[in-house]
Amino acid sequence: MTKSIITVEHLHKSYGDLKAVDDLSFSIGHAECFGFLGPNGAGKSTLMRILYGTAERELRPETKVDVFGFDPLSHELDIKFLSGVVPQENNLDEELNVNQNLLVYSKFYGMRSREAGERITSLLEFFELSDKRKAKIRELSGGMKRRLTIARALLHTPRLLILDEPTTGLDPQVRHLIWEKLRDLKKEGLTVLITTHYMDEAFQLCDRILIMDKGRKAMEGPPQELLDRNIEQYVLEIVSADAAKALSSAQVPDGVRVDRSPERPVFYSNEAHLLRRISKGLGHGEYHLRESNLEDLFLKLTGRELNELQ
Amino acid sequence: MNSNRLPSLGHRLYSVWFRHVLVYTRNIISNGLPPFMDPLIFLAGVGLGLGKYIVSMDDLPYIQFLASGLLVTSAMYTSAFECTYGTFIRLEFDKVYDGMLAAPITTSDLIVGEILWAGTKGLFFSFAVLIMISIFGVIPLSTSVFAPFVGFLTGVMFGALSLLITSFVRTINHFSFYFTGVLSPMFFFCGVVFPMSNLPRFIQPLAWVMPLSHPVVLARALCTGRFHAWHLLSLLYILALTAVTGAFAVRRLRKRLVQ
Repeated sequence: MTKSIITVEHLHKSYGDLKAVDDLSFSIGHAECFGFLGPNGAGKSTLMRILYGTAERELRPETKVDVFGFDPLSHELDIKFLSGVVPQENNLDEELNVNQNLLVYSKFYGMRSREAGERITSLLEFFELSDKRKAKIRELSGGMKRRLTIARALLHTPRLLILDEPTTGLDPQVRHLIWEKLRDLKKEGLTVLITTHYMDEAFQLCDRILIMDKGRKAMEGPPQELLDRNIEQYVLEIVSADAAKALSSAQVPDGVRVDRSPERPVFYSNEAHLLRRISKGLGHGEYHLRESNLEDLFLKLTGRELNELQ
Repeated sequence: MNSNRLPSLGHRLYSVWFRHVLVYTRNIISNGLPPFMDPLIFLAGVGLGLGKYIVSMDDLPYIQFLASGLLVTSAMYTSAFECTYGTFIRLEFDKVYDGMLAAPITTSDLIVGEILWAGTKGLFFSFAVLIMISIFGVIPLSTSVFAPFVGFLTGVMFGALSLLITSFVRTINHFSFYFTGVLSPMFFFCGVVFPMSNLPRFIQPLAWVMPLSHPVVLARALCTGRFHAWHLLSLLYILALTAVTGAFAVRRLRKRLVQ
């Protein structure tokens, strides 16, 4: 990793009795794509907001927050000027059309009209929105709104892009388009910070991920490495309820781990043949044997049951 | 890489103001015409009807007395609407502010820009009233041409006050209390429709505490050319109330915008 762009040490943030961020530390390097994973209410959005200054951290002597050499508490504007933010909600200006939405933001960033016009044209093209330039916001589909929000964040050619759940609620085509665009941007040297609870998204995009649970860091590292180190390679899921019942109290061979909660057992192992042995008596479609992924790791870490914030 | 420099305070306020101008001028006919029509309807109603019964008020032709007050109330209502319902919708429903705060804009830039926009609308609305009453010869052109400046001050003052009110409001319906309980009484008891000297003596000091009384005094002075040294106190009142309510509005709204 080259010189870090964001350094956070011992960050804390509470809302009343709720600890949103609990003693979190991490650092992010130049042109790195860093992902924050965690269930809803894990403190991801709060963390993003603290970084660009629209949420205030707890003041503690051991805490350090540094973004491009600036502390958001005192240099909120400098950080925002170098960053583009795609918030969880699109919050586009419904009272303005597509072009005007971008035009207003170009003023916020102090861009000259001509420069702004050219940049708007090329960004709309990049996000395949050129024919929507004069459209009203409410005429746009969810995917278009999301792309426009990302375009808005890129208007001033930021050095850091902060994306809070960029593809939640979008169809697969749009998700893949957005991922592709983000990869292009990363190649150009943009540092990307992303929160998501789509594990495939994190796996596709992120160089490193940090899994958060209840405001704390549960795990951090490159996605594949985390998988290799922390979870068995294969998973056997039981689909049919009858089979689940039959297997729920079954004996498990050595080398297989079983997670019996909440209703259906899930078997994990590094040896696929051990799992195949368990599924032997089951019919086609009654089970699903596959390689493990981040979602399995995530569930292992954060548990299958819902917490009160989800 | 962005070659631009971090925008200055002036530029940041301008860009917030620019957003509001852009929104307002998008529907130039539906937004721009009513400010001219309203005073026309009002004056026609008074001129054709009420004016026959009330000839003069406070040594002024009644229509002149009323018109000079209208310069101010039009500014009051437009800025109050903008900074209550308008602000609340931007704050809670459309989340426009959340988006703006991700750009290099501070919460105080946002609020002060909002207040300046309220002032601009006040200026425009009282300018519209001035045009209409001048065309119909209700008020002769004189120092009255400066009356829209009072409209600006009125807009700024009620903008700041209304933002402070908005900072307390959690449900949009609660603004009716402000309009019915605060603005409507001011319309009737702050010297717009009849002189405050006609109020019961013990109520008069209370009326002078009310914000609307002071711009009305200034607008009427400009329209009639009758100035007094104590008018400066009214000017001072407006500036002081704007500064105090504005400062509290910034502080309170910041708490709502920054978690």
